[in-house]
Amino acid sequence: MRRKLLAIAVLAIFGAVKLPLEERVTHDLRGRRMLAEPLRLGVGEDLGQAGLAAALGGLRGLAACMFQLRAHVEFTNVNWAKVDSLYKLVTRLQPRQARYWDEASWHMAYNAASYYLYNQELKPALRGQLYHDHVMRGVAILEEGLKFLPDNPRLWQKLGETHWHRTKEFKKAGDAYWESFQHGGLAFTERFAGYAWAQSNDPESWRKGYALLKRLYDKGGPTPGLVEYLKLLEQNLKIPAARRIPDLVPLRKGPDPQEGPVR
Amino acid sequence: MIDITQNPVSTATPKVRFSPRRVWTLAMATVTQLIRMKILAFLVLFCLLAAGAGFAFSVINPEQQLNLLKSVTLGALQIFSIVIGVVSTALLLPKDLEDRTLYTILSKPVPRFDYLLGKLLGVLLLIGGGLIVMDVVLSLVLWLRQTMLLDSYVASLRLENMDSPEALAQVREIVAKQGLTWNLHWAVWAIFLKAAVVTTVALLLSSIASSTLFTIVITFCVTIIGHGESLIREFFFRPYLSSLAGRSAAFVLAALCPDLAQFDIVDSVVNGETVPWGAIYDMTGIAALYMTVYLFVTHLLFVEKEL
Repeated sequence: MRRKLLAIAVLAIFGAVKLPLEERVTHDLRGRRMLAEPLRLGVGEDLGQAGLAAALGGLRGLAACMFQLRAHVEFTNVNWAKVDSLYKLVTRLQPRQARYWDEASWHMAYNAASYYLYNQELKPALRGQLYHDHVMRGVAILEEGLKFLPDNPRLWQKLGETHWHRTKEFKKAGDAYWESFQHGGLAFTERFAGYAWAQSNDPESWRKGYALLKRLYDKGGPTPGLVEYLKLLEQNLKIPAARRIPDLVPLRKGPDPQEGPVR
Repeated sequence: MIDITQNPVSTATPKVRFSPRRVWTLAMATVTQLIRMKILAFLVLFCLLAAGAGFAFSVINPEQQLNLLKSVTLGALQIFSIVIGVVSTALLLPKDLEDRTLYTILSKPVPRFDYLLGKLLGVLLLIGGGLIVMDVVLSLVLWLRQTMLLDSYVASLRLENMDSPEALAQVREIVAKQGLTWNLHWAVWAIFLKAAVVTTVALLLSSIASSTLFTIVITFCVTIIGHGESLIREFFFRPYLSSLAGRSAAFVLAALCPDLAQFDIVDSVVNGETVPWGAIYDMTGIAALYMTVYLFVTHLLFVEKEL
């Protein structure tokens, strides 16, 4: 009996001592990016995430993969509502994996939106509305993902691409590309920020775009795109002829980016 | 006439010292016993799963495929290690009692602590051996898949004249990040540590339990609570989140259960994060502490148990 009491005492003392130790180890592991930071999204969402963590233990990644495969099957069945709801589950299970946010958004803003836009069985007005709704859903998914991963260059880049190619909101596209570049994104995102700002309707964005593209031009190795958008900005900002670049506007080979989606 | 008061050793039970060799013998006997129970059939299933996950679903992109392969196989490793740890530990003591092996062992000069340690070490050797085999299979499949995917993706980019140095570098970077790295082995080590802690908890419960089912059910409950222990701890440390009764309940739960979420680095590894040495020390240290204390408590309970 004496040893049983001793065992209970050891468990109680260890239980009290281990709590601060566990707190410190968890803090260290979070600092080293090994464990996810606790999510602060309101009580309901916090409890949902914690419940999932407890119920699935270390198998959240596995569960997310399974739901992603289900979503892929629904994608092949062209069941967009199901794709969206399954990806919502996937992103809830793995909110810190940029890839899932990217794919969820791509399905909505590109696949689902194009499906409705070119669906001949629907009335034209409805096609346009559904196209718009799904593009905006794609944007909303990326913006939600950026709440979890505000420093992720890939998500910023995808947001820039979606605004450029789908919503045609070039100011937002430029801002998103610039954020991507600022957070260590690929080199082209810097140029594309300038290109997108050049196409916006906002004079302040033109000035930012001009400063950026002119700096890149002066660094040397101007690409046809760089010259084209710099010329556009010179025209928009009414830059004096003496300060304009000497190059001619290059002949565009591809479609005009201002045009809508190409079939 | 012998004066027994002057020679107390002659009547007292001879003191048997701890023997690592004896513990090792018991551990090997446990491994043999578990292998005879056909517990390692899971290994074959795992190899099939790794091959399936590695070469199926070719319609999705390389990053997805490698990610999927790692998530599925590392998830299977976690299930394997925890299920084997809990079930085999829960079965061992009752089986030894049923077969009367326990009486044969303990009737010899074998301290109960040696017996417990031998059993635990045996189960851990089995889990560790199984994880090593599966890690090798996973590494091989991942390396093969990584090489094949990179070659085919680069070839398809060349075919479409999209093989700019920037695009090729990005594909290589993605595949390298999602492919075979040392981090994968550290994830397997973390899985082993988690399984080792759960196995020790199962041994503790097994020493007080009256049935195998009780041990299995309660250990799985502790495992589930252990994964949410950080939330329970938060309720205890942050008074504004709950009432006094809530905090007291949170304290009891948090004090009794180990925080198993500390070993959940698999998601970070699947995401391509690098595992620093500090994280490995932290996880190994806390696992060793849990195991030492729980084993000591098990010894205190088992030494008084009437068999």
